Amino acid sequence: MFIVLLYVAAVGAASALGILIIRRQTKGSGSIWTNLAMKRRLEPYLFLLPTMLLLLLMFGYPLINSIFMAFQNYKLTQVSKIHFNGLDNFRKLFSETDISLIIKNSLVYVVISVGGQFILGMTLAMALNKQFPFRGVYQAIVFLPWSFSAFVIGLMHRWSFNGEYGVVNDLLLKFNLIGEKIAWLGTPGFSLAVVIIAMIWMGIPFFAIMILAALQSIPMDIYEASYIDGCGPIRRFTKITFPYIKPTVIITVLLRTIWIFNSFDLIVVITNGGPANTSQTLPSYMYTKAFSSYDFGLASALGVVLMTTLVIYVTLFLKVTDYNKAGSF
Amino acid sequence: MKHYKIKRIGGNLGRALLLLFFLLLVVMPIYWMTITSFKSHREIVNAQEITYFPRERTTENYVQLFKLYDYRGMLTNSLFISITTGLCITFLSILGGYGLARYEFSTKGLMLLFFLITQMIPGILVIIPLYVIFSKLGMINTRLSLFFFYLISNLPFCVITMRSFFERIPYTLEEAAYVDGCTKLQTLIRIVLPVMFPGIVAVFVFAFIGAWNELIAGTIFINTSNLWTVPVGLKSLIGKYDVKWGVLMAGGVCALLPTAIMFAFMQKFVVEGLTAGAVKE
Repeated sequence: MFIVLLYVAAVGAASALGILIIRRQTKGSGSIWTNLAMKRRLEPYLFLLPTMLLLLLMFGYPLINSIFMAFQNYKLTQVSKIHFNGLDNFRKLFSETDISLIIKNSLVYVVISVGGQFILGMTLAMALNKQFPFRGVYQAIVFLPWSFSAFVIGLMHRWSFNGEYGVVNDLLLKFNLIGEKIAWLGTPGFSLAVVIIAMIWMGIPFFAIMILAALQSIPMDIYEASYIDGCGPIRRFTKITFPYIKPTVIITVLLRTIWIFNSFDLIVVITNGGPANTSQTLPSYMYTKAFSSYDFGLASALGVVLMTTLVIYVTLFLKVTDYNKAGSF
Repeated sequence: MKHYKIKRIGGNLGRALLLLFFLLLVVMPIYWMTITSFKSHREIVNAQEITYFPRERTTENYVQLFKLYDYRGMLTNSLFISITTGLCITFLSILGGYGLARYEFSTKGLMLLFFLITQMIPGILVIIPLYVIFSKLGMINTRLSLFFFYLISNLPFCVITMRSFFERIPYTLEEAAYVDGCTKLQTLIRIVLPVMFPGIVAVFVFAFIGAWNELIAGTIFINTSNLWTVPVGLKSLIGKYDVKWGVLMAGGVCALLPTAIMFAFMQKFVVEGLTAGAVKE
């Protein structure tokens, strides 16, 4: 009961704060904001106050905490022995036996997933970029996986790729593509492949939605002019279509790469990292480390490494793709 | 001329095949899940013969799910958390988005950078210290912990999306209202928000789906079965040696239905919302 009350109070407080802010704005003379210029300067901060406060308290503060944890001997099982230990966690991390395998898995997982989603999403977007009967209904169906939970998508694929009762083995056998049933989830290499397939399946709609919107924003008269000038389909794609959608492609690939790299629910649901860490990626390993051995120090050290990698990746990516200039062609 | 016609028919045929391919790609796993949920346990674990349509259709999986595993309780928890976070995020995003879209101020760039960074941090890196903080506050195993986590994990994206929606509305619309004597609050409620309806719907859907689908934080912050959300509860059905596939698939179907229906009806708004920031018209 107390919890529910606290809950309602929290929601109420957030709302009240918001209303108060707008009210403040609307009050005329006689309020504390007599100086108009001052008021104008403070207004945006009032609008953003609740959001920033929440994020700083619940995101910024824990983040700083976990950076500290990375340099501490922080095990939940030995709370009395928490102390700073310099770079010990990092040393321990890079001496783990499977760490190079896990790094390799992460790279394979991210590169193939992003590549597959991009190619298939782009193909779907191009196919959708022309009117045809029932396009609305069709679009509603093929975009559906965007709203699905990774957990259920993981279940679906885990069940389809089941070694004994799975539909994939059955179909492959029927078409004579394999001689006997494959234990997909129990075989090193294949288990990661199933995770990647599920991830690609899950992400096609997002890519298609983004690229389709970009395609639809290209003005038609440019294409008309290219027809008159006798431009072929390949050149039309490389000289008109692609330059136009390039900014969208860059930002989508960037966001998706980070998102895919960080997300590991599919791994937890489908393989749980197995067999023998062959489908483990860095974030899923971090999760396992943190909540099976409760070694928060080591897990945080891994997290800090991940974060640094991502920041470097984003900086490099934006430099290499020349994002700032991409829009002006 | 004839040559041109053949080429066009060929192109259309190719496109139709492509569209068919994607349709099958999406539908097949969903179909497989759905029919499995209507099969009897005996039919599901028959390795000799795999049926593509249930021989005896039964709802026993659904009955078990609700009777044995208290699926109703999970649905209620999930709905409660998703709706409250959804409403709260929508409200905060309207405020934040408006502030970012309509004002120029010195720390705006810094704030946007902060929002961008929140999108790059692995969620688990925040969950670990939050677990410690929540335990100290006695908030582990309460819905409040999930509420806060879903709030902060979806808020930055929603604020940015809302900002793009506000930027599409010409400021002159608001000016006209001021000239007519509207106060700021009146303008926001009577003029801006009605125009913003698609954006508001989109942001609510994002927040709702984000909370509804989340698994990892749920398994970490909640550990008594009466507070389980749908994914957490279903995950507990995956035993080490025995997996009840029929019941799990039934649970999967029920878990997808609300978000799928929501998406089907609001697809236009959602698509607009997703692309609002990235595609400039």
